Amino acid sequence: MSLVRWWSGLVVAFALLALLRVYLPLPFAIEIMIFSIYTIGCSFLLGRVGFISFGQPAYLAIGAYATAFYLFYFGTNPIVGILIGVAAGVLGSLAVGPLLVRLRGDYFALVNLALAVIIYYLMQKVLADITHGDNGLWYLTNMSPTPVLDLTRPDQFFIFAFAVAFTVWVFYKYLDDSIYGACCLAVKVNEDKLRFLGYDNFKIRLFAFVIANTTTALAGALYAVYLGFVSPEITSPARAADPVVVTILGGAGTLYGPIIGSIVYTGMKDIVSKVIGNWELVVGFTLVFIMLAGEKGIWGTLEPRVSRLVARVTGTPSNEAGQ
Amino acid sequence: MSGNGNLLDVSGLNVAYGESKVLFDVGLTVRPNQVVACVGRNGAGKTTLLKTIVGFIKPTSGTVTAVGANLVGLTAYVVADMGIKYIPQDKKVFSDLTVRENLELGSYASKDYEWDKVYDYFPKLKTLLDRKAGYLSGGERQMLMVGRAILGHPKLLLVDEPTEGLAPSIVAHLKDVFREIAKNTALVIVEQNLPMICAIADKIYALSEGHIMAEITARDQIKPEVCEKYL
Repeated sequence: MSLVRWWSGLVVAFALLALLRVYLPLPFAIEIMIFSIYTIGCSFLLGRVGFISFGQPAYLAIGAYATAFYLFYFGTNPIVGILIGVAAGVLGSLAVGPLLVRLRGDYFALVNLALAVIIYYLMQKVLADITHGDNGLWYLTNMSPTPVLDLTRPDQFFIFAFAVAFTVWVFYKYLDDSIYGACCLAVKVNEDKLRFLGYDNFKIRLFAFVIANTTTALAGALYAVYLGFVSPEITSPARAADPVVVTILGGAGTLYGPIIGSIVYTGMKDIVSKVIGNWELVVGFTLVFIMLAGEKGIWGTLEPRVSRLVARVTGTPSNEAGQ
Repeated sequence: MSGNGNLLDVSGLNVAYGESKVLFDVGLTVRPNQVVACVGRNGAGKTTLLKTIVGFIKPTSGTVTAVGANLVGLTAYVVADMGIKYIPQDKKVFSDLTVRENLELGSYASKDYEWDKVYDYFPKLKTLLDRKAGYLSGGERQMLMVGRAILGHPKLLLVDEPTEGLAPSIVAHLKDVFREIAKNTALVIVEQNLPMICAIADKIYALSEGHIMAEITARDQIKPEVCEKYL
């Protein structure tokens, strides 16, 4: 694959996102950026490895609280706070991953949900002395301006979040195209057969788990810096299905599904909630419609058409050629 | 290789699925570059035997020694890493991946990126590299599975019913390919197509209800009509 072709999709997608920023309010654009990063880990787990996780708020909280602890108790530099949040994501995933990746299907989903509930109560009750319970940790005014891009200013934070999101997408595209990405799909489709080829499926799953949940922790760290405040609400079990819903809306396992799902979901939440209180009802019906229409989500349905169109324009064969 | 010159030595193998015993004191030997066939009716325990050898099923008793090591208790990926590859019966490839990606999986695991020998055996695969494996025909899938398995120069290749449901021309082609592969790799093939397997096998084990009923080694006895007596 040529270098131009490899980068073209990413550049077009993020150019459109940047363009969107012109027409959208800043908080909405930032929410889309962070929520997309939050969702891509879930999308990778579900679409690539076959893990459905209702425990993503747990890893979001690990990243957010690690950042918040640093900014509230120890330091003022938001960049350092984000790096600490990411490190906490790696350590947290490595701590529980070896146990959780042995589970399959429903068990994996529910044990992860239980983990989110445990972290919620840890932050709300057990560790209330240091987390301030439901009141949360407030440190917006503690944060010091950072050079080049001042993350305490929302407009510059958007540029930073945009750059981080672009980097994350480059990384996931690289993963998708790598032999490791192929291993992940293979382990999802037929783990026994992959074992017969000489692969240790446990390591493949664990690596995917750590990557996905570290990305989620990164989103948590970004939320913590952007809001200047973290409370147990971030890991509320009531919101545990959000990333799964967005993943399915956008198209599980697709590269751009999390962005499209985030735009649609955040948009519906913002626009519909101004008209009717129960905006979740609209999301529910939309989800049912999308599942009935093709089960592949918005980008999952559009992608083959776009690929064929691009193949026709550029004169390159698509994978389905000759079927 | 074990001290007696055998590449694979299975002895006193007993396997059960829960309370149901499937293999009874099964023993077989394979020498380097030998083609060994296991024939028998459905349910005779042929697939269970192969899966036990590659570490997918743990036997209740018995020994499996190959390339100088005891395989009992080893996981399937460690066995594969030792150069003992298994091609299952179901012809299920990684359908969401392209032919190229399927081969890359074989290459990466075995650290062998030399695909020319795969193309020598199956020239058609070269023209299908960018096609999703899910769109391949049954014969093409079998070519892909065999091509992927021979990467890394395995010492022993276990193949489960490779010709099932395939067109006669593809069966004939596979027969020639197995003959070629056997020049460098020992083969254990489970097969119900007796004319095909008798044409390439050096030794045949006939299985029935989990027991080895016969071991046919004499070249003039390896004939479909002789094998049929044990089925």
